[in-house]
Amino acid sequence: MGILTDPSAGQGKITKAIISYHPKLSILLYISGITWFCFLAYTPLNAGTYFSENALLPGLVKSEFRDDGSAKLFYDELQDEMKKYDNSIPYPWILAKFQQIGLDTYTHNFTLNYPLGKSNTKYNGKNVYGILRAPRAGSTESLVMSVPYRPPTNINPTTAPGVAIMLAFAKHANRQKYWSKDIIFLITEHEQLGIQAWLEAYYHVVCGRRGVLDHGDLRGRGGAIQAAINLEFHDINIDRMDIKVEGLNGQLPNLDLFNLATRMCTKEGISHTFKNRENRNYRDPVKDWNYAFQTLMTMIFTQASGVPNGNHGLYHRFGIQALTLEGFSDRKTTNPGNFLSVGRILESIFRSLNNLLERFHQSYFFYLLPSSDRFISIGLYIPSVCFIAGALFLKACGKWFRLYKYLINLSEMSAEDKRNLELTENANENIKIISICGIFLFTHTIGILLMNSPKLITTVGSQYGYNTELSLYGGFAIIFVLLLMIPVLITIKTCYKSMTVLHVVALLEAATSLICLSMYNFSLGLIVGTFYVPILLLLEPCRCRAYSVIQKLLWFIAHPFVTLTLLVTIYTIFNFPNESFGENVLRGISATQQAVVFAIVDFMIYSNWLYGVITCVMVPNWICFWCVLFSTAKTDAYITIEKKND
Amino acid sequence: MKALLTLLAISSTAAHCTSDSFTEELFIKPLYTEHIYSHFHFSTIWNTDLFSEKFRHTHLFPRALGEIIKRHNVQELHLSLTAGLWRYETWGYPVTSAAPGAELWAWFKSDTEDVNSNWKDLASSLSGLICASFNFIDSSNSVSPQYSFWPNGVINEQKVNSSFLRYSSLPREIVCTENLTPWKKLLPCESKKGLASLLNSGYIHNTRYHSLSIHFRPICRDPKCKFTSIEVQQSVDLVYDYLILGSRNWSVRKLFGQGILGPCPLAKSSTVYVDVSSNSTFPFQLSPEPHEFVYSSRGGYESKFAKYEITEQPLALAANYIDKPSVVINSPPALHANQYLTGYGQELGGIVTKLFNNHWNTLDVVVLQNIPWYVPIYLHTLKILSNGVVLEPLSLKYIPGKLRERPYYLEIVLTLPPRSTTLISINFEHVFLKWTEYPPDASHGFYISSSVISSLLPLARNYTGLPQDATMIVDSFNKSGYGYLVQVRTEAMVVTLPTPDFSMPYNVICLACTVVALAFGPLHNITTKRLVLKPDNKEGLVGKIKQKLDVIKSKLTGTKEKSEDSSSK
Repeated sequence: MGILTDPSAGQGKITKAIISYHPKLSILLYISGITWFCFLAYTPLNAGTYFSENALLPGLVKSEFRDDGSAKLFYDELQDEMKKYDNSIPYPWILAKFQQIGLDTYTHNFTLNYPLGKSNTKYNGKNVYGILRAPRAGSTESLVMSVPYRPPTNINPTTAPGVAIMLAFAKHANRQKYWSKDIIFLITEHEQLGIQAWLEAYYHVVCGRRGVLDHGDLRGRGGAIQAAINLEFHDINIDRMDIKVEGLNGQLPNLDLFNLATRMCTKEGISHTFKNRENRNYRDPVKDWNYAFQTLMTMIFTQASGVPNGNHGLYHRFGIQALTLEGFSDRKTTNPGNFLSVGRILESIFRSLNNLLERFHQSYFFYLLPSSDRFISIGLYIPSVCFIAGALFLKACGKWFRLYKYLINLSEMSAEDKRNLELTENANENIKIISICGIFLFTHTIGILLMNSPKLITTVGSQYGYNTELSLYGGFAIIFVLLLMIPVLITIKTCYKSMTVLHVVALLEAATSLICLSMYNFSLGLIVGTFYVPILLLLEPCRCRAYSVIQKLLWFIAHPFVTLTLLVTIYTIFNFPNESFGENVLRGISATQQAVVFAIVDFMIYSNWLYGVITCVMVPNWICFWCVLFSTAKTDAYITIEKKND
Repeated sequence: MKALLTLLAISSTAAHCTSDSFTEELFIKPLYTEHIYSHFHFSTIWNTDLFSEKFRHTHLFPRALGEIIKRHNVQELHLSLTAGLWRYETWGYPVTSAAPGAELWAWFKSDTEDVNSNWKDLASSLSGLICASFNFIDSSNSVSPQYSFWPNGVINEQKVNSSFLRYSSLPREIVCTENLTPWKKLLPCESKKGLASLLNSGYIHNTRYHSLSIHFRPICRDPKCKFTSIEVQQSVDLVYDYLILGSRNWSVRKLFGQGILGPCPLAKSSTVYVDVSSNSTFPFQLSPEPHEFVYSSRGGYESKFAKYEITEQPLALAANYIDKPSVVINSPPALHANQYLTGYGQELGGIVTKLFNNHWNTLDVVVLQNIPWYVPIYLHTLKILSNGVVLEPLSLKYIPGKLRERPYYLEIVLTLPPRSTTLISINFEHVFLKWTEYPPDASHGFYISSSVISSLLPLARNYTGLPQDATMIVDSFNKSGYGYLVQVRTEAMVVTLPTPDFSMPYNVICLACTVVALAFGPLHNITTKRLVLKPDNKEGLVGKIKQKLDVIKSKLTGTKEKSEDSSSK
């Protein structure tokens, strides 16, 4: 702080350097941040994965699972049962199987009150679960194996083989005496909604908005859940196991669990992939980097959306380490299936988890994966986003020193010069802190109102007969246009000092929120930073009309609402090149509408932060910069003064 | 004179012999689920007065236990060591119920001066006696419940003063062979003869539930209760799983690794009872044929027991099921309960106790919660909801805990509506502990012990408990009474408290030590070595090398150089 408050600071070497070189230094910082990140995928610069938790003892025991025959039998029976239940879980069959196996069997009902629109639409669901009670413990800890059930009418690939192997594993496991943790076998309905409702009921909490998801009650529980494995097996013959880790809001499971899953797949001879990409070793370093970087970027994009890519993602919030094993069949062969090796993978994973004495706490919770056997720890990747945000800090610093120098110059000026200056601009005007605070408060209040507006917008929209998607999109468009008018209301546009302070504060807010964001969800922070920081570095109120218009246009495009619409439309145009342009634009806009609705529903049910971050942080910050762009202060005079003094 | 002394000694022994008795019983009951329950019951009665007995000399009564009782002024003692959880919902009620882990409660005599120190010493002594961690019991985790625990035996005073009662449980305790061995040594025949020889640790630890217990109390010698005796009951409860055993057809050999080879010679009676009431629904054939069938009608329910008197003849008891196994619909007992944690994160949480009343009428219950001090609860958040309706407690006792000194004690008396599910929920806050208070496996979590729900059931369905005046299992046959006391224990819970990264202080220590070491070396050098001014050598590197070369040269050539030197001079 000394450098900012000390009156003699303006004369320091560093200060002078910052004043004169900060634009170039900022760009350098930004580029170095991006380069840093890009180099992380290069194999010698990241680390190989390893087990931190000794208690896991992975793969130490001999696999004993031999029930592949019953898995096959369960699968055939399930296929018959599924024909009778078009749209739901075959409850009686599954309950009967659980009971025959000897598990404590329960069902769980939940209701979703759809939060948008006028009519109170309700959706009901029912999960089934069975608990294997460990003989050596008093139900204080448990593990979960879950399968999202997909009825035949579901468009997604079936998960019935997962149910079959789960039942076979339960049958095998219930005869063993070594379990020290209960195992909960859970079959959920309605994809992520079912698992969210079950977890909320287990912990008796509401995660999203109150009254949206009625989680119901559970009759049986198994104590503190230590880990969960979610199964999505699409075929009885599994050649390839994809391991999915990205969870809600970009949370990841402990790296030890991921390592455990990869090692056990390798042990049983089923090839595993991460982001559907196998590990490849190229001799050529460029090729090697390129392949790893692509894998890394796929992970970054999945993580940034904050939407879990499997049911495992909803466990993470509760401190449960979870991942999804998705099994694919590559060859279209007619061989009878390899339930044996898949069952043994599950057995090995669960026996390792059974060995845990403490909950997962070793290893990494924050990491990026360029392949399934290498990882980038938080210590390595966080500097990149710090550099990117540092560019903004530097720019804010530079602007502040400039303002400071300007004040010094003013005080050192002769009376005559001052009079001349006053003819051209109001240099005597003081910094209006209250106005600046007012703008800040105003924009952020708008952000919070915007975050809470969907319910109102859709209610109003439905009264005029518009559907949810259209009324939300239209409502946001109207609000967006209205917000563009805000600079008209700003009274301090002509004051150079106040506008600079506003600019500095807005820059600081952008940089700080960027760093905070990347602490929680690095991928989102990185993408936002990469996209916004260069534009923010360019923005500089100036008198040149053409440059000013370009800046405003650029910043207009950078509004999240416009960006989303543009991106989705461009994506649509590239994906459907045969359609006419107009058709594609319409299609793009309707896709955007759906994306907006999905984001809001995710926010209300699962409390996905993406919508909240955009409305509460990004939009207010955007408006602040928009106001700064409309500054009409004449800065030429001050530049001449500067030159005179130098 | 010598002869007289010997005679006296013999007569005194003889007096002891007649004044105490030992019985051993084994009770086997196939449960309605895929489990079989076996209960060993050993009881010793000694016709002596607890207040005057010095425990200098004992015959059948375990002297080690007697000395502890005498020393710590104990009136009544109940301890149990349990692994697993008794599943009331599917298994019904056990003969003696016990909380998971270690549980201990004791009444002290009313003339005890400092109950707390006696209690701590008693726990430590017992810890030595049966190799369990009872030494962790002190006043910071013990409570004196007012309603839940009453003296089981004879008491002198009219009014019961619960300040002489202490109750504590250690849910973290892991029960194993090391507890079984000293426990067996308290029996008169140890495990050499009799039913106790069946307790092979290799077999009885492969169960779904096993529990060791010791119950000591003074009892009436006769119905008039003019004199009192002392009694110790030792029992083992085991629940085997047919799935783990491999088949439903069980035999003593399969359960315990050997047949019954004979009675304990010191035992007054040695019997095996097999509950064959379920034989009508699941017919099984016992071999050999029982010596006699005993019928019992109790609390409105009829039971039939096959009785075997153990003789010197070895007994290979086995049961074979006649029909194929079929799935039965479970009918849960009148009262059972669950307990679980709610909430997530490391700030706030909640404890919910769920009580199920399956009886057609109302049930009065007492819920006791002993919540450790590191989980501070807020009484204002206490909510009791029965089928969604707020239920007012009949009585509520609460003593707030103190950090590191006293647990939170909560006892609630409730009338459960007929056929209802009642939720008792209370919120708590996670606290930060001192770094020395974390156990070695800090991330495992901290235990909250199970709550105890006591009630007097009007019916004895699924009930095998002993009435208060019973010493042996046979005493419970045909014993209808006013009510049947059940004490349901819920699950223990693991809560994660904010745990520091313990490797960080270690890293800091390493770093600090390195820095200190680096600083210490030069400082030590400066302070201990004398500083001497060295003549400045300004020749530089080339000069130094030249000098070295010269030295080597001089060594090689010797005197030759000298002459050269002198010549140059």
